Amino acid sequence: MSTFVEKLRQYRKPGYYDKFDYHWTMTIDLDRCTGCEACMVACQAENNLPIVGEKRFAENREIKWIRIERYWEGEYPDVKMRFIPMLCQHCDDAPCETACPVFATYHNQDGLNTQIYNRCIGTRTCAVYCPYEVRYFNWFTYTWDEPLEQQLNPDVTVREKGVMEKCTFCIQRIRIAKDNAKDDDRRRVRDGEVVPACVQSCPTEALVFGNSNDPEAKVSKMMKNPRGYKVLEELNTTPSIVYLTKVHS
Amino acid sequence: MSISVLDALRPGKKPALLGLVLVFGLFVGAWVHGKYFSDRSPIQPIEFSHMIHATDNEIPCQHCHIYADRTPVAGVPSVSKCMGCHNSVPSVREHPEILKLVAYWEKREPIPWIKVHDLPDFVHFTHKRHIRAGLACQECHGPVETMNRITRVATMRMPWCVDCHTERNVEHGRDCWTCHK
Repeated sequence: MSTFVEKLRQYRKPGYYDKFDYHWTMTIDLDRCTGCEACMVACQAENNLPIVGEKRFAENREIKWIRIERYWEGEYPDVKMRFIPMLCQHCDDAPCETACPVFATYHNQDGLNTQIYNRCIGTRTCAVYCPYEVRYFNWFTYTWDEPLEQQLNPDVTVREKGVMEKCTFCIQRIRIAKDNAKDDDRRRVRDGEVVPACVQSCPTEALVFGNSNDPEAKVSKMMKNPRGYKVLEELNTTPSIVYLTKVHS
Repeated sequence: MSISVLDALRPGKKPALLGLVLVFGLFVGAWVHGKYFSDRSPIQPIEFSHMIHATDNEIPCQHCHIYADRTPVAGVPSVSKCMGCHNSVPSVREHPEILKLVAYWEKREPIPWIKVHDLPDFVHFTHKRHIRAGLACQECHGPVETMNRITRVATMRMPWCVDCHTERNVEHGRDCWTCHK
């Protein structure tokens, strides 16, 4: 038992994947984000997210792996609108991972907080534990009307009723990039080869994605920016996403 | 005292006889199901023999399954691929199975082959990586070149995959997201 606990502690140690090749990280520059929601649309198309309809949306049963949260700042007439894109933070010390009774969610060697859909039994504990509220539950099996089912991404499972889901950092694209790297006899994926759907679609390039184990990667340089902060850092979840705060004039 | 079935066959012991027939029927049924109705070895629209093609005529696997070393799927050859050879093989042109093929060709329809090695939708499998790692086709598909009708040999289930990944020490081979999607 004690060895198991030791192993688990080792596993839970932040940055334990330094010895592996990748630690996928994202930076989000809030100064550049215009709140256009292109990332949401791109994610919807890439990851087979269902359209739940107006009624279910009102019941808070929508599924959006990335969403734009809107905040108002100041008092009228001196009021400002602020946006913050919120997606799974892929925390090193993810609270959701400790909660899952069947290990359907776990941390893999690339620093990704992952979710295995067909292992999930739908206790929804992870969603309760997540302080960012970025886990979404399939309350129903959603269907796509013809011919919309033709646009489903074959590299992503279509989830069914009773399964939790969340942002995967477009793991299918990471997988393809790794596959290409292996074909070229490269040890690592080059910087910029993996581009998640949200990053690809961002018109202002507010989102940057890459491997922070590589000091030359664009994302590693962005992370050193003094504007950087992590959302709800005080909860010690050590997220993998660094937000760059807005510059006030 | 010896045990004999003759005792059960006597008219006075009908229930025993019935039981015997039932057990026998179960075995026959299981055999018939496995032989003709299971998804392991379905009857295909054309009685295609890998034995004739791969052993007798020594055609390599990737002559027809051309995408095996390039893409995730190995690819079933198109009807035109079949006809490309069979047009110039006059010796078997009148064979009833070849006539079926010609009929599909003339109708301009694909042959509705029944998939034997079918993985669930939540599994990511790529032929390319396995072929390039140096695996022979037979390690998963069995001795296809000796089969007259294709039969699935392996279970194609998760323990079977994981066993092989563990045995060969595949890099991150037991990470869930290597195979799940």
